[in-house]
Amino acid sequence: MLEVTGFSAGYQGNDVIRDVSFSVNEGEAVMIIGSNGAGKTTLFRSICGLSPTSSGSVRFNNLDITGMPAQRIVRLGLGFVPAERHLFPRMTVHEHLALGAYPQRPDPATMTIVFDLFPRLGERRRQHAGTMSGGEQQMLAVGRALMSQPRLLVLDEPTTGLAPKLAQEAYQALQVLRRQGLTLLVAEQQVPLAMAYTDRGYVLENGVVSLEGTSAELAADPRVRTAYLGVT
Amino acid sequence: MIYGLGGALNLAYGQMAVMSAMVVLFAMDAGVPALPAVGLGLLTGALLGLVLDLTIFRPVYRRQGEARVLLSLLLTLGLAFVVDGFLTWRIPFRGLTLNIGGGPIDILGVPMRRGSLLASAITILAFALLFAFFRTTALGRAVRSVIEDEQGARLVGVDPRRMLRLILIMSGFLAAIVAVTRAMVTPVTVTLGFEITVFALIVTVVGGLGSFPGALLAGVILGIVNSIAASYIGTFLSLIILLAAAGITILLRPSGLLGVRE
Repeated sequence: MLEVTGFSAGYQGNDVIRDVSFSVNEGEAVMIIGSNGAGKTTLFRSICGLSPTSSGSVRFNNLDITGMPAQRIVRLGLGFVPAERHLFPRMTVHEHLALGAYPQRPDPATMTIVFDLFPRLGERRRQHAGTMSGGEQQMLAVGRALMSQPRLLVLDEPTTGLAPKLAQEAYQALQVLRRQGLTLLVAEQQVPLAMAYTDRGYVLENGVVSLEGTSAELAADPRVRTAYLGVT
Repeated sequence: MIYGLGGALNLAYGQMAVMSAMVVLFAMDAGVPALPAVGLGLLTGALLGLVLDLTIFRPVYRRQGEARVLLSLLLTLGLAFVVDGFLTWRIPFRGLTLNIGGGPIDILGVPMRRGSLLASAITILAFALLFAFFRTTALGRAVRSVIEDEQGARLVGVDPRRMLRLILIMSGFLAAIVAVTRAMVTPVTVTLGFEITVFALIVTVVGGLGSFPGALLAGVILGIVNSIAASYIGTFLSLIILLAAAGITILLRPSGLLGVRE
C-alpha cells in the first residue's frame, strides 16, 4: 500500500534522514520507533507532503506521490496526524470534523464512527479546539483525519503528552479502527505500547533504518531491549 | 475588515479603497449612472485584490511566520506610497461624493442623514454576509482553517494558496465598499488612503489579529469613541483619542479584545 524507497529528506541541504526504505501492506499496523531526534517526524512530514523531499520515492497504492503537496495526498486516501496536531484553535469540534471531509460534505456515517470511537468529542461538539485538553485534542486530530475516509492513517507520536492511561486508550482506539479495515503507520517513542499493538516495525537511528522485523522479533532483540525497552 | 488574515498585513488597503473610489468617480464623469458606476468600483476593488495576490503577495506567501508579516508590510507600504504619490500628482484635488437625495429621516426622534443611514445599512449587510459566509459555508470554513493553521488546512485537503487569494479578492472588494459607503457621508479624496489604512489597522490590532468577531467589536467600539470624541472635542483631536483608546486596549489585553494568546 505504501512503498518508501531510498528516501532522504531534511532542511536546507542537511538531510536528517538518509536512504530510508520501508513498506506498509494493506491491513497492517506498522511502527517506526526511534529516540527523540532520530528523524521520525521529518520522515513522516516529508512522506505526507508537508516538508520537502531530497531524493528517493514514495508510492501510495502504486501511485508516485513523491513531493506532492499535502493537500493532494490527503485526497488520495492517506490521512496524517502530525505530532503537533495542527488543529484550528478557534474552531469547534464540529467544524474540524466538517473540514476533515473537505471538499466533500461530511458523511454522517463517518461522523458517527468518530463519535462512537471518541464519545468525548460528541459531548464537546461546540467547544473550541484551543480550550481542550491534550488528550481531547489528540482525539480531535485523529477524528478530523478519519473524516476524509482514509485507507492509510499515518500518526506521528499519537501519545505525546498523554498520561499512561490515555496513551493506552489511544492505542485501543487505533485497534478498533484496524478491525474496521484501516491500515496504520505509527511513529512512537513509547516503544512497549507501540509493540503491543503493531505487526511489524522499523528502528530509525540517526536518520537511517538500523533494524526491522515483526514487532515480536524486535521486542526480543537485545539491542532494542537495551535501547528502547529499558531492559539491561 | 479582512485585514490581518493570512499572516500578512496590507498597508495599501486604504489605497485600494481610494482607487476603487476614483474608478467610480471617473465612470460617473464619463456619464455612467451612479449605481453601475459603484458596481464598477466594487469590481475594481476585487480585481485589485487579485492583482496584488498575483504580484507582490507571491513572495510574501512563500514565507512563513514573522518573515511573511514583515515582507508584506514592506512591500505594501511601498505600493501605498507609489499609489498615493501617483494619485496626488495626476489628480490632486479630486474626491468622490455620493449624494443620497432627500432630507433627513427621523429615527426615534433623532434626525439622521439618508447617506449615513444607507452607509450603515450597507456596512451591516456586508458584515452579516461575511459572517454567514465564514460560519456556515464549507468554503468559508476552509478559509478560516488557513487563517487558523496553514499546515492543518493542508492536512484536510485545503490549498492555502487559493484561500489566501480569495481573502485578498474579498479584502479588495470590501475596501471598495468602505470607499463607497464613506463617500455617502464625506468626500473620499485621493489623500484619504492612509487614514483608511490606519483605522483598519487599529481595528484589527485592537480586535485581535485574525479574529473576525474581534474586528467587529473593535470597529463598533472605536467608531463610537471616534464620533463622541469628534462631536465633543473636535475632529483633529479625535484621531489622537482613537489612538489612545487603541493603545490602552493593547496595554490591557496584548492579544486584542478577542485575540488568542500565543
